[in-house]
Order: sequence, then structure tokens, then C-alpha cells
Amino acid sequence: MDEKLINAENLSLLVSDLLNEKHLVICQDEKAVGWKSINDAGKLVINNAGVPSNISYKEFILPKTEPIFFFKNEKENFNLVEKDPADQKMIFIGAKPCDARSIEIMSKVFNWDYKDKFFNKRAENSIVIGVACSYQDEFCFCTSVGLSPVTEKGSDIFLIPLNEENYALRIVTDKGKEFIKSYEKYFSDGNTGASKAVLEKINIPAKKFDTLKVKEWITNNFENKLFDEAGSICIGCGQCAFACPVCHCFDIIDEECSYTCGRRMKNWDACQFGQFTLHSSGHNPRNNQSKRYRQRIAHKFKYYHDKFEEILCTGCGRCSRGCPVGIDIAKVAEEINLSANQA
Amino acid sequence: MCSTNIYKPELMEIKDIIDETADTKTFRLQFKDNEAAKNFKFRAGQFGEYSVFGEGESTFCIASSPTRSQFIECSFKQVGKVTSSLRKLSIGDTIGFRGPYGNYFPVEEMKGKNVLFIAGGIGLAPVRCIIWNVLDLRTEFKDITIVYGARSFSDLVYKRELKEWKERKDIKTVVTVDPGGEVPDWDGEIGFVPSIVEKTAPGSENTIAIICGPPIMIKFTIPVLQKLGFKDENIITTLENRMKCGVGKCGRCNVGNVYVCKDGPVFSYAQIKELPQEY
Amino acid sequence: MNELREKAKDLLQSGTVKVIIGYTGTSDPYRTKPFIARTAEDADKLVFNNYCVNNLAVYLTRKEYKQNGIVGIVAKGCDVKAIIQLIQENQINKDDIYIIGINCNAQVQELGKEFGSETIATKCLNCFVRTPRLQHTLIGTINELPKREDVHLEKLKKLESMTSEERWEFWEKEFERCVKCYACRQVCPLCFCDRCIADKSIPQWIESSAHKRGNFSWNIIRAFHLSGRCIGCNECERACPSDIPLSLLNRKMGMFARKEFDYAAGMSLDAPTLVGSYNTNDRQDFIK
Repeated sequence: MDEKLINAENLSLLVSDLLNEKHLVICQDEKAVGWKSINDAGKLVINNAGVPSNISYKEFILPKTEPIFFFKNEKENFNLVEKDPADQKMIFIGAKPCDARSIEIMSKVFNWDYKDKFFNKRAENSIVIGVACSYQDEFCFCTSVGLSPVTEKGSDIFLIPLNEENYALRIVTDKGKEFIKSYEKYFSDGNTGASKAVLEKINIPAKKFDTLKVKEWITNNFENKLFDEAGSICIGCGQCAFACPVCHCFDIIDEECSYTCGRRMKNWDACQFGQFTLHSSGHNPRNNQSKRYRQRIAHKFKYYHDKFEEILCTGCGRCSRGCPVGIDIAKVAEEINLSANQA
Repeated sequence: MCSTNIYKPELMEIKDIIDETADTKTFRLQFKDNEAAKNFKFRAGQFGEYSVFGEGESTFCIASSPTRSQFIECSFKQVGKVTSSLRKLSIGDTIGFRGPYGNYFPVEEMKGKNVLFIAGGIGLAPVRCIIWNVLDLRTEFKDITIVYGARSFSDLVYKRELKEWKERKDIKTVVTVDPGGEVPDWDGEIGFVPSIVEKTAPGSENTIAIICGPPIMIKFTIPVLQKLGFKDENIITTLENRMKCGVGKCGRCNVGNVYVCKDGPVFSYAQIKELPQEY
Repeated sequence: MNELREKAKDLLQSGTVKVIIGYTGTSDPYRTKPFIARTAEDADKLVFNNYCVNNLAVYLTRKEYKQNGIVGIVAKGCDVKAIIQLIQENQINKDDIYIIGINCNAQVQELGKEFGSETIATKCLNCFVRTPRLQHTLIGTINELPKREDVHLEKLKKLESMTSEERWEFWEKEFERCVKCYACRQVCPLCFCDRCIADKSIPQWIESSAHKRGNFSWNIIRAFHLSGRCIGCNECERACPSDIPLSLLNRKMGMFARKEFDYAAGMSLDAPTLVGSYNTNDRQDFIK
């Protein structure tokens, strides 16, 4: 694997180049609330040692609201007009491994038969520059879902902070290799020795639970009362789904633009909302919060894996950190694992 | 990479509107684009997403048979925002259509066998497509029996076709209304569908049963079928669930790890028994 | 703590209450979470400290607690204000609940940080309901609170000094980050509508999309619907993942209600609600 070196100054110059070339450069905002595109290299934030932002960068690949087509009523006929996503490269800088994997994981559902061109166009235009993560709190559990603070899979290019001023840089994918070519002047040759030493110092937390055991338990314990505890305090907001880098459930609704024209929108939606599965007849297959919470766990740890062999979770812990009532998804999974072991 | 917009519907013109009951209509639709019309193929049991632009989309089965390709039909009951808007439309108006989605009735497996169709209320819509499919290929099937019931005479849908089926000599058609739902010159049966099925006592040997209707009707008819000797894998029904994308992405219609829009809506009772109680 | 647990155990064992909605600890000493205690064993898990930020009154309007026996609730002063307002609005019956009132010594602004003068919640700085205004039993003692500047008041003054165009711009920018998760609504005890106006589709009063227009309409309508009803627990702001300063809006509306109508939400059981009553003496000169 090619390894290079880049210092902070050159990284800044690289970002300036990218901005001059009219690419979107996206990094975490200073307050760690979300991610935003910057217009100045001085605003670059690489948060390898801090808490993940409240909300992931998912909204750049899967916007929280986007028009899938516009319709105009012209003389008893309807004219449907599409607006493709902009042909603009998006470079995400400073993605922890728990963020970097999100595009790959979501890509499975958006391509398993019919291909969602909106998602694919944006995914194609994305370059993910990941970074080795040296943060850990009680909500993190990347190692339980097959990741680690130093996983390179998911990034196109992976940065390893060597010290305050220097990063080692590893090219992970062909896309990353292609991208780097234009900016060779900013890199010097690296050696794996220095980066290896840094990586070895990064604490790899112990696994909290075994996802296969969790999946098996869910398969055989659908009606179990375990979900009632979370259901009794869950307030049914969408924080967990919207903060998550891989939750992708959406709603399709029509909106007006004017009297004769409108647009059909694809919006973020959450299985925790009471109306999510409500039929027009009034029947709701998931008519209480326990059932809705069960759906969240089952979808992430079982259904998605059944279909795509991926866990729909990267262990970033955002949902737990941000839950207004302190429901911790890792703790629920641990409880399930414990239950599975006792069986 | 595919550049088609999977969420964009085809434009359809409403060619005919039939008032089935006080709250149910049938639309006959034709593609406005000839290419789309030519390329459109579907199988009985599949569904589509029908749009009223500005209001939204609604999920209905394609109620016409694939053997009649010049048009498609859908029947819907007024229950909410989109269906209320659909009701207000007239012949010549434009709506959107996305489809066909989902799986289909096992027509090939049914060939050479007897077929028993059971439907209740608007549940006749998804069965109608397979009834016409089978009738249009009549010689490939053995005995055909249709048992259909609704709460009252005015709730019966496709009345004109019920008449046609009753007049045919090559199928047995039994129509029933709930006690109290008959009209003065009613010449059909009076009784709930499960008891009329029991009364009709169709043979289960080499027979596939297709049943659609309100959950309570299905709940009480399945034991009757089982008593008559029908195996669970030969009882076919449809599930419906709230849908939006229709293509397995929006994450809404799943029952356990089964997506009704992709692995359904057609299921055998044997499959349904395996599903978690989430529908 | 023991006093609370003993009381809870007693209430549950004697059958006085069916359940007790309270707080329980987590593996983090600076965090608690809501907890439903149903047995004496559960009662031992109840806690009360400076990290009990949740307004548990939000659970009282849940269907499962209606006409299902008396519901006990561990409540601090601000939570009880919500309960009083809910009783005023006929959403819960005073006889259906048992309030275990707590003499509160303030909460943290943000969970996960140790309580102190830097981290004390802004809303607690000038609290006048340290002892809840309604309770069936009272636990704990009042101690002195650490002091800090009221940063919200500073921000409010800044907003008040802006022109309305500047204020519009300020809020537009803040609401842009809204993701329509409705955490603000779900965590609020006074947002109890069976079907929120934002969820109604015939017609769609408030767009569900999270664009500028949809976000603005949602947040402004919610502020209006809470005017004269919000008791200032600031849970909405804490729950918001996008860090939108919702407490500024709600606090301003509360100040307006007090100044123009002499009404403060959640203070008096027998008082008619502000928006639910009409007084011929109400001023009208500010209606332009």
C-alpha cells in the first residue's frame, strides 16, 4: 500500500486548490453539531480526537429533503421534469471509520435491484478522506460491529495523524489513487514505520457484544419483552435515525411550488415515528413504541444483514449520545447478547 | 450506472371510470406514451403506485389481467388524501403510474389444476386480475370456482362481471351477501363468506385456493379451507402494508425481514405462518 | 436518595400507585435516564440528583397511563409546572397522579458533565419553584445554588435589539439546521396532541420537508402553539440534535405572556389558561 506524508500547511493548500476548482470540501463544523461545506481552507476541522458530531454527513449523500421530480400542469397534461444532483465532487475530510463506511453500507439497499440514481450520483461524486480515530467514550462500539478506530475500509484515502503538524496518508481505493494524482506536489514519501507506531498506540476497545448472536436471538425472540423497557421510555422522535450515518428510511410526498406546479420530495423518515406504518384504514402493525423500537434493532442487526450481509450500524454511538431519554443501543445489544448466552 | 429515475411515474390517461360502490371506483388507464405502453408487461398480482400530482401516491394492485394489454385497471376505495383526490378526477384526466412492482400469483403452477377464488368486499380487486388471467386461458385449467361476498348488495364490486361469470357454463360462481344485506330480488346466497365456502364445499384435491379480503374474513375462512383438506402451501393470499417507494428502499412495508413490496404482495398461507405478527 | 426509595417502595407495595415514573442511574455518574418502576425491587433503582434533567411529565399523557390506576411521578419544580398546566388543560386528572415532589438543587445544562457553577443549567439560575408548587409528598432539602451569568438573557437582549429583518435572518439561519426529527415536540410535556398539526395531511398545514420553508413553518407554529403554555423546562433545546436555541423563542413568548396578559404557565391549578380563556379587559392595542 502506498504511504505518503502531508503536513498541515500543505493540507491547507490542497484544500484551497480543491475550493478553487469548485469542488465541495466538507468537514465537521467547529461545534461538532454536524458537517458543513467550507469556503476557506482555514475553516478545516479534522476531528480525530474529539466526539463524533451530533449528526453525520449523511445529508450530503442522502439529503434530508430533495426533489425527485417537478411537475407542471400544462394544458391538461403534466410535464415531469427531473433535476439531477449537481455534477460536483464532494470531498469529505476527517471521516472517522464509523462515518467513512456509511456510503458503502447504504449503497447496498439503494442498488439491490432498482438503482437510485440520486444516491448513486452523489456517492460517485464523493471522495472520503478518513482519519484514524483516537476518541472513545462509553457510547462508542465500532469494534462490536466489525470496525475499529483504525479501519481503512470505507475511506478512499486514510489519514493517520503522526503529530500536531503531520499526517501519514494511505491510499485505500482506486478512486483515492486517481484523486491524489492531481495533488502529488503536496505529498512527500512516507514510511509505514512511523504510522504503524501511531496506530499501535491507539486503543482498540473491546467488543461489547457479538452481532451474530444478537441476530440469532432476534430471529427466535421476536415477541420478547426485552424491547418493552426501551419502549416504555422512548418518546418516538427521530433523533436516532436522523443522526445515524446509515439509517436511510424515507418518505415520498408532494409539495406545491405554485398553483399549477409542484414537486415530489424524498424526505428523511424514521421508523420510530408513530405514523410510519399507519395505514389509511387506521390499522397500525406497529402500534406502540416497543414494537417500533424492536423494528429499529431488528432492521439494523438482522434484516439488513439477512439481505446484504452488512450490519446497518457503524458503532458511532450518535443515537445513544443524543437520545433525549438515554436509550443506549449498545446496551440493548449487550442485553440481547446476555439473554442469548443464558438461553 | 443507470440513469433512470425510479421514482418518476409514467403518465396515464383515465379512459373510463366506473362507480363500483358508494366509495369505490374503477379506473381504466392507458399510457400516454406509446413506447411505454408497448413495453409494459406485468403479471397478475403485481401492484403499482398511482399518483395524483400535487397530492401524492397510493398503492393499488393492477386489477386487470395481463392478457388484456391495451389498458390497465385499478380499483380503489376512498380512505385518505390521495384516494379522495383520485375520486374527483374525470375521464381524460392525467395521473401517474409506477410499476409493476412486487411478485405475482403462481399462474404456471396453477395450470392443470382446479382453482378456487375466494374474495370479500374490495378484496375482489386483486383476485379479479388473476380470475380474468385464468379465464382468458380457460382450457389450461380444470374446474374453476369463484366465491365472492360483501356486506350488502351495494358493497359488491364488479357487479357487471359477477353477472358475466354467473352466466358462464364453464365456471361455478357463488355470490353472497351478509345476512341483512340482500335486496328484494336477490338470487344469490345469504351468509358470511366462510360459511358459504363451507356450504359450497369445493374439493381440495389438486386445487389451489386464492383468497383476498378483509383480515377477519381470511381469519375465519382459512380454517374452513384447512378442514376441506387444503394444504397451507396451496392457499394463496395477498398482504398489504403501508408503502411509499414500492421498490424495497424506504424501509416501511417490511413484516419481519420480508418486504411486502418485493417478496410480496402474494404469499402462500404457509409463508404467512412463518412471518412475525407484524401486519 | 434513601428517602425517595423508601417512599416509592411504600407507595408501590401498598398499591397506592400502579407505577412510578422516575429516574435511574446509568454507568456514567453524570447521567440519569427515565425509568418506570413497577415493583419494590424497581424502587431501589430510583435516583434523584443534579443529573435528572428529563421532564417526566411528558409520559403522563400516554394512553397506557389513562384510567389504569394512579400513576406516581418523581417531579421537580419545573416538571410540576408542566403537570399543573396539563391539569389546567384537562389533559390529566389531579386524582389520577401521585406527585413525589423533590426539593431540587438544580440540574446540569448538559448531561455527562460534572455539576458545578460552570455547568449548572441556565434555567435553574433564577428558579422560583425549588419546592414544587404541587405535590402529594415532598422529599429532600433546599441548598444554595452555584451562581453563573444568565447567558440566555444576554442572547435575548441581543435579539431584542435587532430589527425584525435581522431577527428573521437570525432564525432562518438557525432553522436551516433543523432536521425535522421532532425531538423538540416529543420531549415536550405540553405537546400532547394525538395528531400534531404537522402530521395532518388533509390539508398539509405544515410541510414535512426539512427545507428552509418547511423548517421555518414548523418551528414558528410550534412556538405559537406553546405561547402561554410553555413552562420553560428547556428540554426541547436539550433534545435538539442541531443545537437550535429553542429556549430563546419560548422564553420570549413566556415573557410576553407575563407582561401583556399577566399570565405564567403552570403556576395555578385553578386559573383559566391563557389561550383557553377570554377576558374582556385584555389589551388589544398591540394588535396591528
